[in-house]
Amino acid sequence: MTAGFRLEVRELCKSFRKGGQEIEVLRNVTFGIREGEFVSIVGASGCGKTTLLRLLDGLIDPTSGSVAVDGRQVSGPGPERAFVFQQDSLLPWRTVAGNTVLGPEIQRKDLGAARRLADELIRLVGLFGFGRHYPHELSGGMRQRVNLARALTVQPDVLLMDEPFAALDAQTREIMQAELLRIWRETGKTVIFVTHQIDEAVYLSDRVLVFTVRPGRLKQEVEIALPRPRELVVKRTPEFVQYTDRIWRLIEEEVRESVGLEVEEAAARHS
Amino acid sequence: MPILQQELESRRGADAPAAAPAPKPAGPSFKLKPAFWRGLLSLLIAAVIWEAAARLFVNNPLFFAPLSAVLEKTGELWGSGELLKDMITSFQEFAIGFLVASALGILVGMVMAGSETVRDFVDPWVSMLYSTPTIALAPLLILWFGIGLTSHVAVVVLVVVFPVLINTFAGLANTDQHLIEVARSFGATPAQLFSKIRFPGALPFIVAGLRQGVARGLVGVVVAELFGAKAGLGFLILNSAQTFDTAGLFVGVLILAAAGVISVELVKLVERRMAPWRFQETGE
Repeated sequence: MTAGFRLEVRELCKSFRKGGQEIEVLRNVTFGIREGEFVSIVGASGCGKTTLLRLLDGLIDPTSGSVAVDGRQVSGPGPERAFVFQQDSLLPWRTVAGNTVLGPEIQRKDLGAARRLADELIRLVGLFGFGRHYPHELSGGMRQRVNLARALTVQPDVLLMDEPFAALDAQTREIMQAELLRIWRETGKTVIFVTHQIDEAVYLSDRVLVFTVRPGRLKQEVEIALPRPRELVVKRTPEFVQYTDRIWRLIEEEVRESVGLEVEEAAARHS
Repeated sequence: MPILQQELESRRGADAPAAAPAPKPAGPSFKLKPAFWRGLLSLLIAAVIWEAAARLFVNNPLFFAPLSAVLEKTGELWGSGELLKDMITSFQEFAIGFLVASALGILVGMVMAGSETVRDFVDPWVSMLYSTPTIALAPLLILWFGIGLTSHVAVVVLVVVFPVLINTFAGLANTDQHLIEVARSFGATPAQLFSKIRFPGALPFIVAGLRQGVARGLVGVVVAELFGAKAGLGFLILNSAQTFDTAGLFVGVLILAAAGVISVELVKLVERRMAPWRFQETGE
């Protein structure tokens, strides 16, 4: 397993039909993720990042191509993968503890063990003592922590995270990023993290996959060779800034190509 | 499918079920808020005005009775056991009708949410019967079932079933898609989606439907009894009016008002217990 990939994507294509029109969202995407790796996917909005993640989870089927986990083709959601959604999507009628055991409950695992694990995970995400609280009593950051704990209770090998911190304010987001790295270090999961925040991607990842605008293709892979463990101050080092600049230029190129003309026209009108 | 569709549209717009504005969180209720004292004061002022108006201006027991006379009459009817009998009769009709209608409404609403075919067959009837004042069918039901418990229960069922049904359906049909996705990503079966996500998510809607049903059901009982009864609060009102006993008429009206307030508050209490997040004030 050391040489191979934990998760492998091959020539993945996805098109949607909308109002009699075929919309190509992803074209020929191929990449592999090693065990325990933290990989981010960035790209301009609408590049199919979320679609890709949903394909990896098996929530939707590809038009062609394949996704394989440990060599087995994905044909639907599986217990070895867990999805952390952008909206915290907690069940409002369940407490933090109740929400956290949803996964094991659905997968009909031993509930006693699941509750003990949930307690542990609630502690791991820094919510010790909040097990009996309802989601509406928590802040956005705390809800996202529950969201993460809920994904971890099914003990997945691969965590698929879809812009989980997008709705948080800047400070909370930074804290959550650091927390996520700590949890990742402690659990050793393989993480695929979709974001549109370049500094977030650089700070968290071993590797950043930059996608083109629609139809989304893999434009470039950027290895992030910053030493670990990373403190938040790493964001102020020149190496970090170089990485973000480089990725930003890649995305900028893409955005310019697609909307460049409009922008230039608008600029011309204003000057 | 006009009605259900409209209902869905309006539900999507407003997050809260039914029309009622979300009351403030219940909190510890021993500390009464100024709103309570103002409300109480308002009622006391109304009682004084009532008494004064009846004694000083109208002063004709045929048209209006002072509050004191109404209270006196209440005592009299209570003493003779008549009032209790009327209350029990009406309550029985209401309770049976309400339970039957709730069960029926929730069941049909669930089936409609589960099957498009069933929904398409049932929808025109629901739309039609929901938009017509079904209470107009009360005389027909009396004709069919005769004067008594059966016909009165039938009227209550008829008026209560639709709000319950429509709210149940709307609640199930409007399940938060994000929550469905979460359950699906854990590999939930359709049965689990229903039991763990859709049904608990719809519960507040269903209770809101029951709240509307309570209010309508009370009207149903009275109207049914007005068309023909041997006992009951509606019967008390009708009988009092026919014998020019205005105080007796007011006894019936006041008790119904109290019953309405108490039952709606009870359902609201259940609502707040079951879905506290809906009554949370916005902002964190």
